[in-house]
Amino acid sequence: MNDRFGISWRPELAAGVFSNQHRLDVVEVIADDYFDASRKEIDALRTLRTQLPIVLHGIKLGLASAAEADRTLLDKMARLVDLVEPDFWSEHLAFVRGGGIEIGHLAAPPRCSSTVDGARRNIRSAESVVGAKLLMENIATLIDPPGSDRSELEWICEILAASRCDLLLDLHNVHANSQNFGFDAADFIRRVPGKSIAAIHIAGGRWIGRAAQKRLLDDHLHDVPDAVFDLLEVAAECATRPLTVILERDGHYPPFDDLLGELERARTAVAKGRRMREVLNVTCV
Amino acid sequence: MSPAFEAFLAKIYVDADARNRFLNDPHTEAHRAGLTPAECAAAADIDRVGLAMAGASFEAKRRAHKRPQSWFERLAYFFGGRNRS
Repeated sequence: MNDRFGISWRPELAAGVFSNQHRLDVVEVIADDYFDASRKEIDALRTLRTQLPIVLHGIKLGLASAAEADRTLLDKMARLVDLVEPDFWSEHLAFVRGGGIEIGHLAAPPRCSSTVDGARRNIRSAESVVGAKLLMENIATLIDPPGSDRSELEWICEILAASRCDLLLDLHNVHANSQNFGFDAADFIRRVPGKSIAAIHIAGGRWIGRAAQKRLLDDHLHDVPDAVFDLLEVAAECATRPLTVILERDGHYPPFDDLLGELERARTAVAKGRRMREVLNVTCV
Repeated sequence: MSPAFEAFLAKIYVDADARNRFLNDPHTEAHRAGLTPAECAAAADIDRVGLAMAGASFEAKRRAHKRPQSWFERLAYFFGGRNRS
């Protein structure tokens, strides 16, 4: 399968990206950074697009909500997608505002029927307004979302089935939630419909809090842990389609060669998972 | 759960004073926010450790995403970490 491997675009990584294009298959750009961009900035993005395939990643739409998605933001996403023509765009299974209050980041909504219905409605609306293929990403959470009456796995699978959209499977988010709330991350991945996994995020994080109550924070500031590479192997066993694997790094940047080294480990893990799939004729969901 | 419940969560995630009032008297604060009995019960049963950590984390993210004004802030912004997703 033609799996692709790339990195999240950050200005601090620009020199590394441009001088190592031959070792990257794709770049992921934060869409919201360009919603109000100047013509010059959009032209720069389109120049990047001539060098490497781009996928766009949204962070402020808050589609997994009982409330309706913000039409102004959807229109901005649609305009950007028209200008940049990404291979696909993605958003999060999160809510980011409520009652006019901006949380400022991704929050896990109550996992219940109203957010399944709301997510289905918002995802369809987003696809209709933006008119391009949308992937939805599972998020990490430090708080077990109140008002939930089903597991994260059940909730995600219901939304994927109801909206017929594909999954951007963030492996560090699965890892963090499994550590924080006590479930088996590999089993979680095996029970996600393999045919829905279209892209993968890998990243690192750190433990916060005191010993008895510590939790794993997904901060994108640290190296990808071994556990995430192990999960990548499992995901590659289960996914039935070619994958786009993106390494996310938001700060504390190491030398670019170190990031390329992490991408090499990702290629190795995916290849191993793919081989395992062939050998065992894997029966994931 | 209704959009009002999400609005209530947004409030206690963002506003430290509201969060403290809620933790001191969950039922009263949830009821005052106009939540249904089921939503009040869900709010009262909140993961308190997670709420404290999430509140601090959201606060840190908002600070990190705030547009830098002075040259010193811009320099700190350039060298600092900015988690995006």
